[in-house]
Amino acid sequence: MTIAEAGIQGGRAMDERKDHLWKVAQEAEERIEDLMKAGSNPVGLDVGTSKVVAAKRKGKEIDTGAQLNAFIPVPYSRFTETILGQNEISYYREGDELIIYGTATEKFANMFNANVRRPMADGLINPKERSAMPVLEAILQTLVPKARAQGEVLAFSVPAAGEGHEAQLTYHEATLRRHFESLGYRPVAINEGLAVIFSELEDNNFTGIGISCGGGMCNVTLAYLSIPSMMFSITKGGDFIDAAVASVTGEQPTRVKVIKEDGLDLSKAPKDKYEKALRIYYEDLIESLVQKLQQSISQADKLPRSDRPLPIVISGGTAKPRGFKEMFEKALSSRSLPVEVSGVRTASDPLTATARGALIAALYEK
Amino acid sequence: MRAETKRTERRGPVRRRPIPTLSEPEEFLHALESVGRGVRDPVAKLRFIRTSLSRYQALDRAVRAVPSAPLRRLLYRWLSLEGLHHLLDDTSSLGASPLRVNFATRVSLVLGRAAVVGLGLILGVSAGVAAYRYMRPPAAALLAAPRRVAATPPVLAPVVDPVSSIVEPTSAASLTSAGVTHAAIWLVEKGPQWELYSNGLRIDTGLTVKGTPRAFRVFDGEGTLDPRVYSAPVGLLFHTSESDVWPLEAAYNENLRGTSQGLLRYVQKNRLYHYVIDRFGRVFRVVAEESKANHAGNSVWANAGRVYLSLNHAFLGVSFETRWEGGKALPITQAQLAAGRNLSDYLRHRYQIAPEMCVTHGLTSVNPKKHLIGHHMDWARGFPFALFGLPDQYQRPAPSVALFGFDYDDDFLKVLDQPWPGVKAAEAELAREAARSRRDVEDVRYERQTAYDRWTLKQQSPDDTDKTSAPAATGAGSGAADQPGGGRSPEPAAGRAAASTSRPEGLQ
Repeated sequence: MTIAEAGIQGGRAMDERKDHLWKVAQEAEERIEDLMKAGSNPVGLDVGTSKVVAAKRKGKEIDTGAQLNAFIPVPYSRFTETILGQNEISYYREGDELIIYGTATEKFANMFNANVRRPMADGLINPKERSAMPVLEAILQTLVPKARAQGEVLAFSVPAAGEGHEAQLTYHEATLRRHFESLGYRPVAINEGLAVIFSELEDNNFTGIGISCGGGMCNVTLAYLSIPSMMFSITKGGDFIDAAVASVTGEQPTRVKVIKEDGLDLSKAPKDKYEKALRIYYEDLIESLVQKLQQSISQADKLPRSDRPLPIVISGGTAKPRGFKEMFEKALSSRSLPVEVSGVRTASDPLTATARGALIAALYEK
Repeated sequence: MRAETKRTERRGPVRRRPIPTLSEPEEFLHALESVGRGVRDPVAKLRFIRTSLSRYQALDRAVRAVPSAPLRRLLYRWLSLEGLHHLLDDTSSLGASPLRVNFATRVSLVLGRAAVVGLGLILGVSAGVAAYRYMRPPAAALLAAPRRVAATPPVLAPVVDPVSSIVEPTSAASLTSAGVTHAAIWLVEKGPQWELYSNGLRIDTGLTVKGTPRAFRVFDGEGTLDPRVYSAPVGLLFHTSESDVWPLEAAYNENLRGTSQGLLRYVQKNRLYHYVIDRFGRVFRVVAEESKANHAGNSVWANAGRVYLSLNHAFLGVSFETRWEGGKALPITQAQLAAGRNLSDYLRHRYQIAPEMCVTHGLTSVNPKKHLIGHHMDWARGFPFALFGLPDQYQRPAPSVALFGFDYDDDFLKVLDQPWPGVKAAEAELAREAARSRRDVEDVRYERQTAYDRWTLKQQSPDDTDKTSAPAATGAGSGAADQPGGGRSPEPAAGRAAASTSRPEGLQ
């Protein structure tokens, strides 16, 4: 090895550096996202309107991480940028704006009493949002880095197409697929309801009805032995409730969301006008869901003729409030379904059920 | 049952295969469900169900020809059980148990297979006897005795010990062949603030401070912690100072000097390194050699069947005044190279440090919480080992990966683009181990990472030891080992007298 090869400098000028980076032999602060770690494992991803959740295998366990699928632009200033950088808030600069995205968005929205913007609406890429794809890619990047090995399997959730939204769904799926391919993955799309069945109905041989109530929509799938027989979606979800309650109470939807997620109990009598309105619109959502479920099963021409009643499992952030399951059961009992239902239960972890199911699909495809 | 919608077929997550419809007999599906309940892992179960459904159509035609319903049900069940065989070997699963099929189902599978084998034997023997009676071949004398088969000893795959596989001899001969000069290195002259050695090394001792006395313990490759506490350094760890780097030109003389002074004060205050080599090649002993320096943090290295965790005590820290930037260290100066080589020769000579124990911080640093390598990256690439007469440590299987299954993340790749060859080599060892034990690589990693956690718990931090308890051997002539590996490190004959006068207190 020559001295030049070894990188020995003999009086040559080098770039001037003034910033001190003293290295003290102590361990750095824990980095935030465990899931930044690129693994050689398949990845399951729930690309939801409200949240993006990733699941990876870590040893014998499943590791999950989530990001809020939202952003808020603020005017650019050097001071603001410094503050964001110092507080490790995810942002990027676009022209004269700083786009803050991910989980920190909600804090800023509450701070400024402004509404967050979403790159997705009704379960699909938001066609009305100019920054939809750049923001979504940035958010995905925080959870799913570049694949370490080319062709790693990544299963991502897609909703069932709502009526008249088939073309939009094709665009949504193809766009995400292309993005993940560019990161080196072999992307596989999985229906959201089926993912819930994969994660929650293993004991039933993946037979039953999986429901995912998310921010933009509710997705339902009926599967027999892991094969989906019927699936549909309704474009009512958490965002619908927030907007509807906001419109009748005069409050910001972001604020309504906070109230909703702050221990709302649907099994108890409402305490104030917000809870009263929330209850009304939850009932409306559930009613729409059960009605559509009855209608879809009745109209399905090829349903499995099983001699066993089917279990129903509910998941998603919108299904988290206490009393949701009971409200759903009540609505279900008032209608007669063409299939017998053995029971309704909430997913073991409603927020991660879809991502965990997607991971099972990814491992299956591995 | 045949009920997939058009949309599902277009977009579903899994391979589309024909599925049975309800117009067909349900016996198979009942059997499938029954067997499926015995599979505990979700991925394995999904694979079993999907595979069985795809096989169903081909087999069903034959089974349906069986007129007896009970026999048909038995056949369906047996076929379903046979669909499990791949799950017994497959490893891409989730769940806590390595057994993805429950005991009852395994028993059913074994019994089913035994029944088939038994039936086959009965039929075979019957057919054979019938044929024999029919043909009655004449007895041949040669057939009276069984044919001998030459006894060939089975060929066993060599067992690779991840520790010993990275071991190389550490004899004096290897030290010489690795580039250490044959001439002894001795203290030529000593002033109040400097020392001059026979190889041209001049050490500035004006800033030297003492710290916590060196005391460390060592694991063997099996995770047994040697109860002895050692006091002599066993390795060298090369660092970059991560300080300002000014152009090496006369115009920047003040900046160059000022930065070096600032660096030395900082290193002294925090007791970071034993030695600092500034841009002009001046060597400063900042932390006394018998003390530990806070230079290595969480780190892993192994050699000669011994494993060292957290190298602050066991290794001497030598820092070059430069910085790590853009995935490599900025070039050191020729003066730094010459001084660094003389210093490492002196230290290796004095403490009989094996060349395999001279390594860079970036190659040893780990994040124990996340089990990631490359927590610090200094000299993770580009240290001129060859010019120091040292083996290329970048090629050696990384002990943190081979022994403890450490991984790397996207941040690591952002800096280095790809890991050094030793990481790849260690990962290949993990993959071979996984293949040997028929497990997923991730399972092997997880097992070894867990072992690391156990080892670190087991390791009593020397910092926490009762300061009144003396290390196993610190005094001269104690006869005990002061370096792991058995014998007391021999002082080079020619240098013994000279070195004994220059040796800092408490050493040998």
